[in-house]
Amino acid sequence: MFVLITGASGGLGRAFALECARRGCGLYVTDIDAQGLERAAVGIRRQYGVPVETYACDITDDSAVDGLIQNAQDKGIAIGMLFNVAGLDFEGAFQKRSFNDLASILRVNIEATLRITHKALKLRDEKRDFYIVFVSSLASLYPIPLKATYAASKRFLLDFSIALGEELKPQGVHVLALCPGGLSTREDCLQAIAAQGFWGNATTNAIETVVCRTVSKSLRGKTLYIPGLVNNLLRFGARLVPPSIIARMLHKRWLQAQQQWLSIGNQ
Amino acid sequence: MKTIVITGATSGIGYAVCRAFAQMRWAVLGVGRSEATCGAAERKLREEFPGADIRFFPCELSKQTEIIRLGETLTKTLRDDFGGRLDALVNNAGCVRNYYTTTEDGYETVFAVNHLAAFLLTEQLLPALVEAGGRVLVTSSQSHLGTKVRWGDVMLTRRYRPLFAYKQSKLCNLLFAQEFNRRFAQSGVRCYGIDPGLVNTGIGEKNTSGVVKLFWRFHKRRGVSADTSAKTYAHVITSDDADSLYYGQRGPQRFSRQVNGENAKRLWALSDRLCGTSF
Ligand SMILES: NC(=O)c1ccc[n+]([C@@H]2O[C@H](COP(=O)([O-])OP(=O)(O)OC[C@H]3O[C@@H](n4cnc5c(N)ncnc54)[C@H](OP(=O)(O)O)[C@@H]3O)[C@@H](O)[C@H]2O)c1
Repeated sequence: MFVLITGASGGLGRAFALECARRGCGLYVTDIDAQGLERAAVGIRRQYGVPVETYACDITDDSAVDGLIQNAQDKGIAIGMLFNVAGLDFEGAFQKRSFNDLASILRVNIEATLRITHKALKLRDEKRDFYIVFVSSLASLYPIPLKATYAASKRFLLDFSIALGEELKPQGVHVLALCPGGLSTREDCLQAIAAQGFWGNATTNAIETVVCRTVSKSLRGKTLYIPGLVNNLLRFGARLVPPSIIARMLHKRWLQAQQQWLSIGNQ
Repeated sequence: MKTIVITGATSGIGYAVCRAFAQMRWAVLGVGRSEATCGAAERKLREEFPGADIRFFPCELSKQTEIIRLGETLTKTLRDDFGGRLDALVNNAGCVRNYYTTTEDGYETVFAVNHLAAFLLTEQLLPALVEAGGRVLVTSSQSHLGTKVRWGDVMLTRRYRPLFAYKQSKLCNLLFAQEFNRRFAQSGVRCYGIDPGLVNTGIGEKNTSGVVKLFWRFHKRRGVSADTSAKTYAHVITSDDADSLYYGQRGPQRFSRQVNGENAKRLWALSDRLCGTSF
């Protein structure tokens, strides 16, 4: 079985690629960063000896994605599993960001993700079940001031994923939404986790565990995975409190965190 | 003029080794992670040792493409200015991570930086080492004791433990030294593992947090200064009769029974595969 992974040269995408290779799957990986994609592919082949097919492209570009699909069809790659990992965020208040930045959050996180999903279903082997994973976020569970666009885009994925899963169930397609907290994917994430102190560590999930469980849960037909006890408690708590109050609390917390972050930057 | 290449040279033990050899008037070629840290270290050393030949080369050692580029730059520098001779290579850069992270090559970071980078850089610089009958040193540690390589999952993708990752990488340093000697001793190049002892440096506080960081803050105070530790490196590089595998402040040291021919060969083959070399 081949798995298709978007955003595969980033920390989480690469971790999914490694996990699937470890389980013996062939990989069809894509990312906008062609060099990074190639390097990860080389490393994965050397470790696991599985076939790794790369196709670098911009998934917000419709014809580029057609190219991605065509390439798979030409090479006879049948996809059994899709990981929608590519996504982006820009820090900062609504008015401080250019509209272009904000729109690109929607274009990548929502539009491009749906595009890939829509087209990738064509690569499916009809005789077998098909599995889709959407990488949403813990941020999808609340309205978050100062991260409003990002959080809402992840909320879209969460709702969409649950609905789509229901719709496609009769056809043997299983859809799972993953809502991770902090992940130790990059050097700057590690520093950010360290800067947040206790809560940073408490809401951070071990990435190797998250990817392993995500794959297992998806294969078992689960529809939602929120890793970590603290995150689940946060989610449970969030249900008992009206959204406007949560938004107010989170606003305070983000302002504080930003200030801490700035004071660290100035040191 | 004698030449020495030192990685992790912008701070801690590596920086102290630079000082020791600048003092002895060797040409010091330091490797650091960024332009900024390299520039700062270079300036400080030149100020302290006016007239000494000190040069720094930035390289992110978690990236194999950068290591290969570094190898080419160093080889060219050695060829142009030092008759193609490298008298000592000190593979000292090392790190700790309190989470599982991967490099752009898809390898676990601690294994990649602490072991694979040393393997690949040594492979790149072997001709210059042979030319000078040089020595290769790898900064290992007593923490290699009481551990085994997890062969089924060397990158530790299951149940990542920061301390285990570090210990395993330091065991790999000694396995590398052992197999290197089996292969290349007759070409006049020797490799040694060094135990720097407990040294008061910042290693446990970079990119770590929580318990790991707190532990290191207190623990390191009991350590010796980096300059004291650097004496071990100077001794092993300059002495005439260093014929053991593993040295500490008081001379040759015992090492784990895990450091045996079978494990050493196995790690070498794996490293060759992961670096795309035939070292
Ligand atoms: N301190 C001890 O008690 C002790 C005991 C046994 C063994 N050791 C070993 O001694 C060696 C030196 O450590 P230290 O104590 O002197 O701490 P240190 O000051 O942190 O030295 C480590 C050096 O390696 C560099 N480095 C780390 N990751 C790198 C990367 N990806 N690319 C390029 N350079 C990188 C660091 O650069 P940055 O500063 O830019 O990160 C730093 O200059 C390590 O191998 C360590 O495992 C230390």
